[in-house]
Amino acid sequence: MAYLRLISQRLVMTVLTLWGLATLVFIMIKLIPGDEAQVAAGPGANPEQVASVAKRLGLDLPVLQQYLNFLLRMLRGDLGTSVVSSKPVLTELAAVLPSTIELMIFASIIGTLIAFPMALVAASYRGKAFDGIARIVAVTGGAMPAFWLALMLQFFFGNVWRITPISGQHSFGIASPNVTGMPTLDALLAGDIPAFLDALAYLILPAFVFAIPFAAQVFRLLRASLLGVLASDMMLPVRAKGASTSRMVLRHALPNSLLPTVSLMGVLVGGMVGGAILVETVFARRGVGSFLANSVALKDTYAVLGAVMFVGIAVCLVNLVADIITLMLDPRIRGTQFGAGAK
Amino acid sequence: MTLVLPTASPRRKANFTAYELTVFGVVAALFLLALIGPMIAPADIYTSNMLETLFPPSAEHWLGTDDQGRDIFWRLIAGSQLSLFATVLVVILYSIIGMIVATLATVGPRWVDELLMRVTDIGLSLPGLVVSLGIATVLGPSLQSGIIALALTGWPMTARILRTTMRQTMEQPFVEGARILGVSRTRLMLKHVLPNSLDVLIVKWAGDISFTMLILAGLSFIGVGAQPPSPEWGAMISGARGNMSIAWWAVAAPGAAIVINAVAFALLADILQVRRDPSLRA
Repeated sequence: MAYLRLISQRLVMTVLTLWGLATLVFIMIKLIPGDEAQVAAGPGANPEQVASVAKRLGLDLPVLQQYLNFLLRMLRGDLGTSVVSSKPVLTELAAVLPSTIELMIFASIIGTLIAFPMALVAASYRGKAFDGIARIVAVTGGAMPAFWLALMLQFFFGNVWRITPISGQHSFGIASPNVTGMPTLDALLAGDIPAFLDALAYLILPAFVFAIPFAAQVFRLLRASLLGVLASDMMLPVRAKGASTSRMVLRHALPNSLLPTVSLMGVLVGGMVGGAILVETVFARRGVGSFLANSVALKDTYAVLGAVMFVGIAVCLVNLVADIITLMLDPRIRGTQFGAGAK
Repeated sequence: MTLVLPTASPRRKANFTAYELTVFGVVAALFLLALIGPMIAPADIYTSNMLETLFPPSAEHWLGTDDQGRDIFWRLIAGSQLSLFATVLVVILYSIIGMIVATLATVGPRWVDELLMRVTDIGLSLPGLVVSLGIATVLGPSLQSGIIALALTGWPMTARILRTTMRQTMEQPFVEGARILGVSRTRLMLKHVLPNSLDVLIVKWAGDISFTMLILAGLSFIGVGAQPPSPEWGAMISGARGNMSIAWWAVAAPGAAIVINAVAFALLADILQVRRDPSLRA
């Protein structure tokens, strides 16, 4: 039952984290210069109107009461209202979330496809030329500002060489009916292959911007843990048996290195949501990140804080799922639920 | 007959490789440049010169000019102080917060430790960039806001690592000795346990500077950090973005400056890490 206990501990931690985040957001709302009721009522409102808005929003209550009301509203999924569009923040975010998820999925796939072969080859030829070059590439890839990389790729691939589209989600007039909010999936559902390829072309550059730092980190961890396993005593009998390098790496080192790598990938995917603020803005894609950036530009502080809360929840949930997957992959923990392998 | 005293602990010479010395040299040069940058840069990098806007790189303007006709190369040199020192300041500030939290968790009663570590866990699982963005928005956009926001979100990892190390240091015989000699609890912590636990942070600092520089530039780029006409590198990229199709070098150059700094500090972190744990050596 160690398994269930670990997951429930993890769930409690997630709830506590979200409570902490909500408290932080509440404090920030209280710290915003200017009167909340005045902002909500609009610049032209007279004192009576402001007072009535304050009453309606519960701003005349004691701070502790306001805090409890705020937590209750968060529990109901009310992340506040955008001052600019007068729409609930949650509604606006829900509409653009699939587009961000689509981007993150593609980026993780590309990043994994780059990192795994690189790490496997580098670990097999430790200290050789490929290993050295791969390490330098990884350090450089991990030390590039995402928004700058986005701008440069966009300029050279889109503007100069005209290989990829510059910005947006799909070409004018070839959009498929919006079902899921993900242009590629929508096109596939409609059975429209040209539209699918079109959406894919728009996706490739932003996905690469996320994939490069992702691949750099995954490469470094996977290489280090592959080398760790290869250097361990466990490999002595395998080596004595006369196993080839590729067999040692693929059959023995890789399975033993997967656990920390998957765990890191979960954390990195969570971090991508934050990076989306910069990258989606550069590529003018719909998404949670560009919503946040736009709200900052419009000085719509309530929308910013609502979106911060939303992204925080999303990241916590991604981390939760990653941790549960890690737990399920770990035979030392998985075994205990049947009472076997427990120490 | 003279008495031969045993010499103090034999110091092994640290044999640095040429590669390691190069990285140390580059990092030192970057610090020096940040220190003297604003002094050696000509004064006209803060004023517009509308006759020389968006010039491509040339012998006179090595990296071209921006939309205000200001020399990009010299703006980068002058801005390196803002970018590097602001980054270092962020790391110092959150390291101090982390040290305070870790020390309190080590000396305090069990419930203080428990409480502080839970708060640390909460801080660790929040997306740093997003929360900083929120804080900086509330504080009003400026470089100071960016620095404060990142200092307030950056400390949990330091606190977590340092607390673990301080617990281990507490187990060491010399701490027992100091305690027997009657050293006060506060003095024991601040003079003995904390200084002897800090080496774990030295490796982390180099990596933190690399990483924080990217985030700080990102905040400026979104518009909640340094504001134009500041020569802070993120703000320079943000300002040059609109003219990218005719003057791409104005975007490329500040980004390259960030990459050079971030890579240098990442390599430094890598070297320090291997020095601490030689099993990682290739």
